[in-house]
Amino acid sequence: MKDLLRIKSLISTEIESLLNQQIKKEAYSSSVYLSMASWCNRNGYDFSADYFFKQAEEERTHQLKFFKYVLDMGGNSVSPDVTGIKQEYNSFREVFEEALDQEISVTNSIKNIYARCMKEQDFVTMEFLNWFLKEQREEEYKARRALELFEVIGEEGTGRWQIDKHVGDIKYNSEA
Amino acid sequence: MIATLTQTTPWTDVFKTTKGAVYQSDEERCWYVDFAGKVAKFDHRCLLKLRKAVYHIDIEQALLNTTKDPDVEIIFICACDHCYVLTLVQIIALKELLEGTFVMLELNHILHDKLYA
Ligand SMILES: [Fe+2]
Ligand SMILES: [Fe+2]
Repeated sequence: MKDLLRIKSLISTEIESLLNQQIKKEAYSSSVYLSMASWCNRNGYDFSADYFFKQAEEERTHQLKFFKYVLDMGGNSVSPDVTGIKQEYNSFREVFEEALDQEISVTNSIKNIYARCMKEQDFVTMEFLNWFLKEQREEEYKARRALELFEVIGEEGTGRWQIDKHVGDIKYNSEA
Repeated sequence: MIATLTQTTPWTDVFKTTKGAVYQSDEERCWYVDFAGKVAKFDHRCLLKLRKAVYHIDIEQALLNTTKDPDVEIIFICACDHCYVLTLVQIIALKELLEGTFVMLELNHILHDKLYA
């Protein structure tokens, strides 16, 4: 008896559904960053607003990467519903705290897919995910660096203005 | 409703219960589901959709449901030719049939991996 499911798709239905969940997560991240950009802009933090606009766009490209991968492997990519995006923040600092939380949760969910791939010996998807693991290194680094500015500079006086200015300069260049 | 299909290519038994059976046609690259008095043809996409539709029915909830509506579920699968109107008992039987089918397909996949790799 032929292995018909395998003929149609390189990835298993379990991996396919995990990747679809990830598509939704990336779409959600993109919308959250957009909302953060809006909040920062409205409150006079222009550099941070720019930073979050860029992040929102990056998340959209992540979403499309997953989306196209699933299709290319013979699966079904589902265009996700994104709801429940928080629009208001209590403080400038809270925005960055939540940005870091979100990146941590994305890293965890990619690790989770990776673990499933290892179990199934789906080396093809593992290789595809390697790019994202490296990307998460950068994403978490930047989010953490931004939060550290609050400690290093302090929020008193013109602190927040200074912090905002420095957010635009955060870069990750690792040789490793 | 699609009339019962007759066999034109060799079929392999995938899984059987007392209530139904699933066969695979290698030649046509599809499956035939013999259930609720008809034999229906499913390609790869439709079979996965059927599984999703059946697994999504909350059987426990339906059993607890005390309204006077008849205990019937309609399983309609988008872009597939088939539709099932089933009672709760039939749904449980169909779920069992599909669960067994996917275990056998998984087993077949493992065999292919180990034997022909
Ligand atoms: Fe991302
Ligand atoms: Fe990110």
